[in-house]
Order: sequence, then C-alpha cells, then structure tokens
Amino acid sequence: MKFYKSILCFAIATLALVSCSDDESSTVSSNPFVVAFENLSTNLSEIETSENIPLVYSETTTEEGSITVLIEATNAVYGTDFITNPAVINNNLVVPISLGENGTTIEFKKLNPALDETVEIKFIIIATDYSNAVIQGNSTFTLNSTASLGRGFAPEVGGPNQPNQVYIDLSSEEQISVQRDAWDLGFYGGSEFKVGINSSIYMAVAQLESTNIDAVTEADVASIKDQVAVGTFDPTNEAYIDNPDGDISKTAISTINATESDNNVYLVNLGYEVGVETPAPGSVAVAGESRGWKKIRVLRQNDGYLLQYANIDDAIHQELFISKDANYNFTFFSFDTETTLLIEPKAEKWDINFTVFTNILEGAGSYGFSDGVLHNRKGGVIAYSVNTEDIAYDDFQLENIENSNFEQDQRTIGSSWRNVINDDKVLVDNIYYIIKDPNGNNYKLKFTALLDDSGARGFPEFKYKLL
Amino acid sequence: MRLLLTILLLSCLHLSAQTEQERDSLTSEKLDEVVITGQLNPQSVSKSVVEVKVISRKDIERQAGNTLADVLNTTLNLNITPNTSTGKSGVSLFGLDSQYFKVLIDNVPIINEEGVGNNTDLTLINLDDIERIEIVEGAMGVQYGSNAVSGIINIITKKSSRNDWEITAYSQEETIGDEYEWFDKGRHIQSLKVGHNFNDNIYGNVIYTRNDFGGFYNEKQGENYEANDGLRGHEWLPKLQQNAKGLVSYKKNNINIFYRFDYLNERIEKYAENVDLNENPATGTTNPSALDEIYRNNRFYHHLNGTGTIFNKIGYNVSVSYQKQTKDLERYTYRIRNQEKVNLEEGEYQSRSAFFSRGTFSNIINTTTANLQLGYELTNEKGSGSSLAIVIGPESDEINQELNNYDFFAASEIQLTEQFSLRPGFRASFSNLFDTQFIGSLSAKQTLGEDWELRAILGSANRTPNYNELYTFFVDVNHNVQGNPDLNPEKGVSAFLHLKKKSSFSEGVFRLKNKLSFNYLNLKDRIELIVVNQNPLAYQYNNIDSFKAIGVFSENEIYYENFKGQIGASFQGVSKVLDSRTQRNDDYLFNLQLNSNLSYTAPKWQTTFSLFYKFIGEQQQFVEQTNEAGNQEYVTGKTDAYSWMDATINKSFFDGAFTTTLGCRNLFDVTQVNTTAVEGGTHNGPPAQIPLGYGRSYFLKLTYNLSF
Repeated sequence: MKFYKSILCFAIATLALVSCSDDESSTVSSNPFVVAFENLSTNLSEIETSENIPLVYSETTTEEGSITVLIEATNAVYGTDFITNPAVINNNLVVPISLGENGTTIEFKKLNPALDETVEIKFIIIATDYSNAVIQGNSTFTLNSTASLGRGFAPEVGGPNQPNQVYIDLSSEEQISVQRDAWDLGFYGGSEFKVGINSSIYMAVAQLESTNIDAVTEADVASIKDQVAVGTFDPTNEAYIDNPDGDISKTAISTINATESDNNVYLVNLGYEVGVETPAPGSVAVAGESRGWKKIRVLRQNDGYLLQYANIDDAIHQELFISKDANYNFTFFSFDTETTLLIEPKAEKWDINFTVFTNILEGAGSYGFSDGVLHNRKGGVIAYSVNTEDIAYDDFQLENIENSNFEQDQRTIGSSWRNVINDDKVLVDNIYYIIKDPNGNNYKLKFTALLDDSGARGFPEFKYKLL
Repeated sequence: MRLLLTILLLSCLHLSAQTEQERDSLTSEKLDEVVITGQLNPQSVSKSVVEVKVISRKDIERQAGNTLADVLNTTLNLNITPNTSTGKSGVSLFGLDSQYFKVLIDNVPIINEEGVGNNTDLTLINLDDIERIEIVEGAMGVQYGSNAVSGIINIITKKSSRNDWEITAYSQEETIGDEYEWFDKGRHIQSLKVGHNFNDNIYGNVIYTRNDFGGFYNEKQGENYEANDGLRGHEWLPKLQQNAKGLVSYKKNNINIFYRFDYLNERIEKYAENVDLNENPATGTTNPSALDEIYRNNRFYHHLNGTGTIFNKIGYNVSVSYQKQTKDLERYTYRIRNQEKVNLEEGEYQSRSAFFSRGTFSNIINTTTANLQLGYELTNEKGSGSSLAIVIGPESDEINQELNNYDFFAASEIQLTEQFSLRPGFRASFSNLFDTQFIGSLSAKQTLGEDWELRAILGSANRTPNYNELYTFFVDVNHNVQGNPDLNPEKGVSAFLHLKKKSSFSEGVFRLKNKLSFNYLNLKDRIELIVVNQNPLAYQYNNIDSFKAIGVFSENEIYYENFKGQIGASFQGVSKVLDSRTQRNDDYLFNLQLNSNLSYTAPKWQTTFSLFYKFIGEQQQFVEQTNEAGNQEYVTGKTDAYSWMDATINKSFFDGAFTTTLGCRNLFDVTQVNTTAVEGGTHNGPPAQIPLGYGRSYFLKLTYNLSF
C-alpha cells in the first residue's frame, strides 16, 4: 500500500505540472482609437471645384460612431464662398463612422473661384464619438495658399529591386517616379558644360587617350574594363564615377572644352539593368544583367552639347545635339532610345530623390548603395541631420534651426537613416533631418519605415512637417 | 502528448499492486567496463587496444543529465559551445569544432539537418535510454568514416533488462539562472519509460520525454514586448523537445537482433529583437510588429541490427539504418498588441536523410595470435538547404546534394607476444563527389607487468566540405564570394600515446588508476575562404591551410571505500598555418584545462554527494586587426579563463523505488566571458563576449522506479 500511495502522489504531482495553461506575461499597451486628417494642408488655389479631404482611422472600425469637426474660416463665408458635405451647422459638421472602414472623407466644394491668398479655412476635430477614442495627430487640416504643412509619405521605390528613382517636392506633396535605367547621361543645364552619369545603375566611365571616337577599338579598352566598374575594391576607381557628394564640378567626365581637340573619348560602362530576382526578405537585388559598354565623346555646340556615341568596335559613330535647359538640372539622354528624355522635375520642383546610388567607401573605392535619399544640391536644397537625443522630433521648432549645420553634400540623408549591415535590417530610430528648400521653407523629416509588413526592403515611409 | 503521459501514468497504478522489489545495487562500482567502440569484439577497457573513456549510466544520473549537452560540460578536453542565436550546442575538441567530431548511437552516426554524425546538436541527443557513453579522442576514420577527425562519441543504448517489467517515470524542474515559472520560464522535463521482457527471448521498451526549455531572458522581455529598445525576445532561445523512442530486441542462441526507433520533435522560438513600430504619422499611433521565426525539427531514426556468429566462427554485426531530419521554418509578422500572426510563410529550411548500413565480420582469421575483421559502410545521403539557410544566388531556391559513400575497411589484431599486440587498419572510401580516399590506422598496446599499459595509436580521418564551402554564391555589384564545388576533403591524422598504471593498496580498499597521454593532430588541406582575385576583389573557398594540435593530458581515478574521485589536467597547443592570409603567425598557442569529478556515497542514507568541476584556462588566438596607424597587424587575442562546477545530491527512498536528485549547475554563475580572440566581419566589429551559460541554476528531479 505504501507504494500505491507513493505512485499516486507522483502521478498527481506530474499531472499538476502538465495540465494547466501557459503563464501570461505581457507588457503591451492597449490602442486608443484615433481619427486624423491624412495630411495637414492643401493649397486652395489648386482646387478647381471640389476636393475630398481624407480622414484616416488608427484601426479598422468595429463599431459605429461619429466625428465632430469645427470649421474656422478667415475671409471666406460658408454657403457663399464654399460648402461642405456633410454640411456645416453652427460652425460644426458631423461625419459618421461606419463599420469596417479605415477612413472617410469630407467633401469641400469651392463656390467662389476667386478665393485669394488671404483666405484660410481650418477643419478642427473637436470630438470623436467612439469607444476609447483620443484626439491626437493631424487633428487640424488647413486650406490655404502656403506650402504644404506636412504629412506621411510612402514613396514608390518599388520593393527589393528598388526599380524607381522617386523625386519628391515636399511643399507640393508631389512625387515623380522614374525607372532607374531609363537614362544614361545627364547634360547639365547650368552655366558650366558638364555631363553626369547615372549612378543609380552603377555606371562608370574612363577617359581614353584618343580624341577620335571612330579609331577606338576593343583592343584599346580590353585591359582596363575590369577596373572601370563599381565595387572593385580598388580605391583608385573613384576616378571613374561622379563624386557622390553631388558637386557638379567633380564629375568623372571632364568639363566639355570649347576647344574641340581637348575633348577626349570616354569608355562607358553602362552598369546594370534593374534586378528582377526576388531576394531573401530584408535583402535587395538591385543590379540585374550587365548593360554593356559604349564609347562617347562630347563637344560644345551652339551653347549646347554635341554627343558622339557608338559601340566600342564601331568605326562609325552617331551624333546628337543636346541643348541646355536652365529650368532643369540636366537634360537626360538614353542609349536605349537614342533620344533626350524628361527625367527629373524642374530644378525647383523637387527636394529629395529616393534612389539607389554609387557611393565611395573610404579606402575601398566605389560601392553600390541601396535605400539612398539624395537632396537636390544642384537645385539649391540644403539639409542636416539631428539626433533625437539632442532634440526630440516632436519638439523641434523653427527657432531650433542651426543655419551653420546645413550641408550641401547630397548624401546628408543618404543611407544614414537605415542600418543593413547585420542580418536584421533596421530603421535608424534616433535620427531625423532638417531640409531647407530653395523657397526658404524649412521641413523636419523623419523616416518611419524601411521594410514592408512582411519584412521586404524597398518600401520606405517618412513623415515631415513644415517648421 | 500530455494526455498520453497521464494515461500511461495512471496505468502504472494498476501494475503497482503486485510490486516486488529487485534492484540493482547502486553502490557497486564496475572497475572494468566492457566497451564496443572501435573494437573487433566487445571487450573490457583494459584489453582494448583503442583508448576508450566511459561515462556510465550512474554518472549521467548523478548529474541529472537529460541531453548530451548536460553531461559533457566537465569532461576533459571536450568543450561545449552553445550558440545562443540558433539554440544549438556543439562540441570543440583539440581546437576543432563539431564538424570534425562524430556522434553515433550504437555504432550508427546520428543524423541532423547539417550532417550525418558530425555537426551534431548535443541538445537533441536525449539520454533516457542510454546505458553508457563511450568517448574516443583522435581520428577514427578507419572504423567510423568521414568527419571522425578529432574524436567520436558512441552512445550505447540499453537493450535488455533483468526484470520482467521496468517502469521509470521522472519529473525534473530546473531554473534557468534565477528564472523560473510554472510554464514560461525555467526548464521542465517529464519522462516515462516502460521496459518489458515478453519472454526469454524478446525484450522491448518505450520512452517518452518532454523537455521544455523556457529560454534565458536575462534583461530581455520575451515575445509580448512592444518597445524597440533591443529588449524584445530572449538571450537564449526557448525550445520544446518531445522525444519518443522504442526498442525491440530478440535474443536466441547466438543471434541477437534489435530494432530501435527514435522520433524527435523540437520547436525553437526566435522572437525578433527589432520591433517595427509602424507609426501612422496622421493619427500619431503605432502598431508595433516584429518579424518572428519558429523553427521545427523533426527527426526520424530507424535502426535494425543483427549480431551473431556464422560457421561457428565468424562474428557478424550488421546494422541497417534510415534516418531523416527536417528543419522547417515558419516566418510571420507578429502584431504585438493584438498578439496576431500575419503574413505567415512556411517552408523547409534544411533537411537531410540517409540510408546507412554498416557491417563488420570478425574472426575471419582467428588464431590465438591474430584476428581479422572486414567491414563495409554504405551511406546514401541526401541533403537540401533553402536560400534562407545557405547564401546562394537569388535565382536558386535551394541547394540539393546527394552524397553516396561506399567504404570497405579491414582491421586486424595481432597478439605478437603475451604483452604486445598490434592493430593495423585500413579503409578505402569510394564516393560520387570526391576522389577515392584511402586512410589507415595503426595501434599498438604493450602491457608492462601486471599494472602498466602502454598504447600508441595512429589514426586518420577526412572531413567532407560543407554546403557553405561548396555552394555559397554571393555575387552582386559590391561582392563576389563563391563556394567551390571542386573542393577536396580535409585530411586529418592523429597520434596518441597513453601510459596507464593501476595500483591497489590495503587489499583493494584504496585503488588508483593513472593515465598520462600525449596527443598530436594534424589537419591538411584545410578549407578557408581566400581572395582569388584582387581586382575586382573575389573570394572563393579553397583547400589551403593546415592545422596542428599538440598536447599532454593526464586523467586519474581514485577509489576509497565509498569515495570515488577523478582528477585530470590537460595542456593543449594549437598552431594554425594560414596560407590563406598574407600575414600570419603559426606559433603554438597553449591552453590549460583541469577537471575533477568527486562523489561520496553514504550507504546508510542511500545518498550520493557529487561534485563536477572543470577549469578552462585563458584561450588564445591570433587575430588580424587594424592598429592605430591604420595598418593590418596580427595580434594575440585572448578569451578569459572560466570555471564550471555542478554539485548534486542523489538520494534513494523505499529501497530505490524513489530517487531524488537535487542539484546546482554552474555554481560559479558563468554567463559569458570576455574575449579579444574573435575577428570582426567585413562590416561589423568583433564581439567582445562569448556566451557560455545562463548563470547558476538549480534543479530537482524526482524519479520513480518500479520493477518486478
């Protein structure tokens, strides 16, 4: 019997060990429900007759409710100059919250087409009828005539192949997206005669001895082809790329000389097509097939450029006159289409460019970078970075700007906003940037995502605010 | 499985009514165990020409060892190397990692997702049905084939019982450092074993073990933690292992047949440290998520073995085994606040399967002076690694490889004089991937009088290149790192000299066993990643370096009444000839190890007190660093010394029906040691610490034994 009891004790003890549920130890906070305007402002003069003002919810709705918005109009009268849907009653409008939605809109209708820049109409969220609701974030939306007050932004970089260069104008909230390998050469529109190469597809160029493009053959360049490339880990290969700081005086191709005989032939490595493979999550596959080689020679002609180009072994070359356009940083040319193309927006219509780019690693020469953000140095944009430990992003105001900190180097943002050295690709959480556009608007800008929800690269997001 | 365990436990209750006690004596100490590793026929340690170390069942129990990783911590020369980011534990011996070390169960290499026998994760080898562990240091390629370079462990399972029924159930609760909770923290082990003699010829047993390791949190906060401050996840990954085994053996006249089955399931949880806050700039809210991974290992092991004699003379021992281990990966985005998994993706991470057969035929020639053994070994191995496990080009989803080895070996034991015996061996290995390889061994044993034994052992073995070395493909605009399908196996040779003395005083009350050993190991054609082109820079794996280890060690045992002590010391030097580097230093760097295992049994109380101790002296390694002037230089990096100690009290109640083991592991509270001996990668600096343990932890094991 003694044994029987002992076994029973043992069995009970074991049962006790294996039968309960898990310990629950979690340290998560609960989510409040927030309704906010998607962006902070829209330019009134750009509204023809009506505009939907988007509101977003912090989560998909699971119940019905309503939002109360106060309207404050300066130099404009409701019913005469504008109306809204839902309509305003006693300076308030009430927007219903429906089930299973992620947002809603307020329709703004402009009745008076002659509203001038003194007009300002403010929409202010003053109450949310919903469980656990909190008013925070973009609770005020302004219709006026000034530059954008800021918003969240998801540039269409296009995923882990990063196929696009995305030019963004912060003040107008516009983005222009261009496939990276759509162009090869950029002909400078400023006073100097300069030609840039496409660093986003890892192009490289080398000056040859010859000034006769038709005389150059494969035999003349075979010995240097291995070196005229990005990522060879040879520090001297910096000579084959435009300086990544964006200084137009430091291009790989020398200034185009007025004296025709001073302009040499260049060997051009066309870099790589946009990659098409799907890499492991978190990685990039930006470079695809090699795009081959060309030889070029550029001359001045009628205050423009004369481009001579051909395949390496061709004894006859093609020619194209390319005029300067001072509205743009560059006039672009593609060997694929053999024409000039519009790639960048006008010089004053973009501030930052999301792009793959060629950088220089100290002691290792040229090196391909993904996730680059280059500011428009040639268009007069300047920027600097701020550490959140010095001033938190939310606390940074116009008076905190240190003008002496602004830098010209177009890599000031560069790739400093993410860290991809380790297996875990992470957003750098403690850095944000101050950007001054040529019109004197100062923005603070902070990145909010590097990867998409499932961990794929090439899905950046950022937020910015006018100071 | 919990339900099953409960049912089985309840069924014990009925059986127990007719209990009748017959227990093995716990106190008697076999002085001369029988071993089989590397033997022509099973024989005693003292008669063996090969030097075999034994860890007995009792040693395992005194240490409350559940897996192989639990019991090897204090073994001389062997170092356990835990990997906190994968949850695996490897072995390092004579400066060589677990790729060079082979683990076998009943003479058959045990599979894992990265190797057959080698690269074994010691935490996956459960010890609940083990009779003893045999360890041989030095190359054992002739007997055990490729990758048995630095040594082997041969685990011998229990295949018979003196009792009609034997039922063992135990529950073990262990803290992890000072962390313990009923479920999420600490280590919880439950096991049930039932053995039965069906008749005089047939014996069978089944075992189920559940080993729930809650992970080591240290400062970290586990799965449900939403801040991105590096505190999410675990320092050591939590894992749950379930292991079911069964054995049937048949014994009649001179035929012995057994079939053994082993199924292991392991689930490793890897919660990402990095939290993506998913800030919504408009609403100012966040929705933190993390990219988490769950690894699942499934291992199947079948082993059919027959031994006996034919023609009244030739002893045969033939094993046929099929094994498969698959490691699957489940990746998902974990929405921390909602505790919800989205974007779930599942797939195979790595897998390997092998058909293996090994046969030996002894006494082909058997006179009083000579014995010849012929043997064959056949391995058909299939492996695959996904692009998540091996760096391969983005266009390839996975690497598949088949490796077929057909080996023949012969060993002979020649008794030249009463005192002197010689043991030459030879193996030829034919494979589909590599050139035919020939390796040899020669051992000699001389007894000097009653008490002295001298052994000299020359062995050789090769290491097969791994998948990374063969198939890596990392080529993009900035990089060019490639595997090399034309690699040859690395070639290892070892030489050992063992001098042993047995002494007995006061009519056997006080006994001593002393051993002094010298060892030498040489590895040629070592595979290393080297620069094969300067401009543009390109790397490829090549057979280039060599490696030497040299050392002296001594192991001593003392028996006095109820006291048993073992004390050892080892002084090992390693020299690496790095032809892969422009700068190098191939000086020997030495390391001292001491170990001691002591136990005292108080028979009156049925209690055994044990202490397990090991000291690992400062370890050195040449590392390439950039000095202040910006030049590359070769300096001696150091890893600090540390000590490991476990202490246990083992007490039996009710004539051995209950056993409790109370103990403390890692008494010196080691978590990590400082090091300057690791080189940084291309992009990142070297780590300053090596994680070794999770701090001082305590355990209590309750075992119920029932046999009748």
